[in-house]
Amino acid sequence: MVSKKVVVNNKTGLHARPASSLVSFVKKFKGCTVSIVNGEKKANAASIINVLTLGAKQGTELEVIVEGENEEVALDEIVKFIETLEE
Amino acid sequence: MKKFTVSKAASKGIVMGKAFVAVQEKLEADTRIIKDSEKEIEILKFQKAVKDAVEEIKVLAKDNEIFAAHLDVAEDAVLSDSVEGKINGENKNAQLALEESVAEIVTMFESLDDEYLRERAADIKDVGKRMMCKLKGVKSNPFEGIDEEVIVIAEDLAPSDTANMDFKFIKGFITEAGGVTSHVAIMARSMEIPAFVGVVDFRKNVTNEDYIILDALGNEIIVNPDDETKEEYTKKAEEYKAMKAELESMNGLPATTLDGRTVELFANVGSLTDVENAVTRGAEGIGLFRSEFLYMENTKFPTEQEQFDTYKKAIETIKHPMIIRTLDIGGDKELSYYEFDKEENPFLGWRAIRISLDLKDVFKTQLRAILRASAYGDIRIMYPMIISVEEFRAANEILQECKAELRKDNIPFNDSIQTGIMIETPAGVMCAEDLAKEVDFFSIGTNDLTQYMLAVDRGNQKISKMYNSFHPAVLRAINRVIEAGHKYGKMVGMCGEFASDEKALPVLLGMGLDEFSMAATEIASSRYKVRNLKYEDCKELAKNVCSKSTIAEIKELLD
Repeated sequence: MVSKKVVVNNKTGLHARPASSLVSFVKKFKGCTVSIVNGEKKANAASIINVLTLGAKQGTELEVIVEGENEEVALDEIVKFIETLEE
Repeated sequence: MKKFTVSKAASKGIVMGKAFVAVQEKLEADTRIIKDSEKEIEILKFQKAVKDAVEEIKVLAKDNEIFAAHLDVAEDAVLSDSVEGKINGENKNAQLALEESVAEIVTMFESLDDEYLRERAADIKDVGKRMMCKLKGVKSNPFEGIDEEVIVIAEDLAPSDTANMDFKFIKGFITEAGGVTSHVAIMARSMEIPAFVGVVDFRKNVTNEDYIILDALGNEIIVNPDDETKEEYTKKAEEYKAMKAELESMNGLPATTLDGRTVELFANVGSLTDVENAVTRGAEGIGLFRSEFLYMENTKFPTEQEQFDTYKKAIETIKHPMIIRTLDIGGDKELSYYEFDKEENPFLGWRAIRISLDLKDVFKTQLRAILRASAYGDIRIMYPMIISVEEFRAANEILQECKAELRKDNIPFNDSIQTGIMIETPAGVMCAEDLAKEVDFFSIGTNDLTQYMLAVDRGNQKISKMYNSFHPAVLRAINRVIEAGHKYGKMVGMCGEFASDEKALPVLLGMGLDEFSMAATEIASSRYKVRNLKYEDCKELAKNVCSKSTIAEIKELLD
């Protein structure tokens, strides 16, 4: 299991289209379980319902946790994906 | 061939096509608790439903973002984990597990302080509904697969139903539920699809094998017409289409008779959307702005600012004269946040201007809002239910107070704002000359005037046949009011349904009515009629009508 902190930079936060594209991106890592933590809330990153209810806004610090095959690579890519979200 | 007469069309026109009786399934879950041995099969059922729903949504999602979001939800692990958990852990069948899981997620979303997420709750509900249809083996869109011209017949149609329709083939509606203000009626009118609503128990008369003519001009439904009838109605439909095209080409032309008398065609409105529609339908002004919608669709008396914003938006939209009727409640109109005493005769009770004069603060809030908005266009004030000169004076006195306050605070308003009254009581008719000396205009409210002149309760089914604005007493009252107004050089308008009645129009024109205010959808056809009439003929007709002593004789003259 590996984890890393990341701050949401985009304007909308993990909402609407950004949330949806994150979920699709995470699903590519089939051998991994990906969770995102915002304070006390923990979400399955492959669930749009879960990700939306995190309520992550611009400036929110999240912790991304990955467990599974090639978890290091997956973690880096996912963190980078969140950092470079647009909208 | 069978004919059915319908009382009123929700949206006009003539169309024909095969009957399509919509089968709308109830989607309540089966509540059965399952045995442990059934768990596996229920989970398989659910997984199959998800797969089928996903397939269906994928097709829709190709060019639609809403359905793309549905796809995420349908494939979501949280939803499937929850459903499978309920099947495995609580011995619930797949339908029940789905229903409960969706409800829980929806509740969670709706409780969040975020508008976007609350809206997503609707997506989750919709996906849940689609999966439930799959579980129950019913079509999720009962209007799918229609590939020929049909008239849809349903118990009722919700927004989600009409959103699913292919209007290339769906030509008309008949619903058993709903009134002329129901969703389907409003939608049909705005899309110009002929429709009847509130046709009780109609589904038992037709099957999908039948052919139907929906005549929402003559208010008839004809089931399985013979060829001759079909041909006749095809012709009628074409004539109507041609007339409508001609009508629309006239938007922007004045309502002037062949011999040069011009009248004004205004719209009655009860919302800002109505004001927008009035503009597109060619209204030359607003003859009746029903301000009570601001009060009735609220949880408290609306503030001055709320009202001002609405009035200002309305006048900036219409950019023509706008007559605001001050609060007209009581009678059959109540407010959720204000307790009205039970009255023996509410229509003869505490209503309209009587309330405003008693609840002075409420009245002043409204008048100040109207005055402030009058800085942005030609707004006029109209007091409802006036029965005496004193009442008019009392209302205007309060208006003067409001003006003085605004002046003191340097808030701009139109100091010469016109004030008029509705004539809707016999007292108003009898004192019309006295009132005409003081007011700026009259507007005749024929719905109440007919009820009060004839002492016929317009809501009482038992005597509804007696409610008739063609009664000589009503017509003579109208004539008298117009004469009184004109004697003192005042504009006389009408804002009741009578103003757009095609038989009444020539009579009212002949009596000299200056302004006709009606539902925006009636404006084009009224304009057409006025432009094809001669004022001199109408004057003669009006004189004739006023000399008749029975409704039958009057109707004969007008047919």
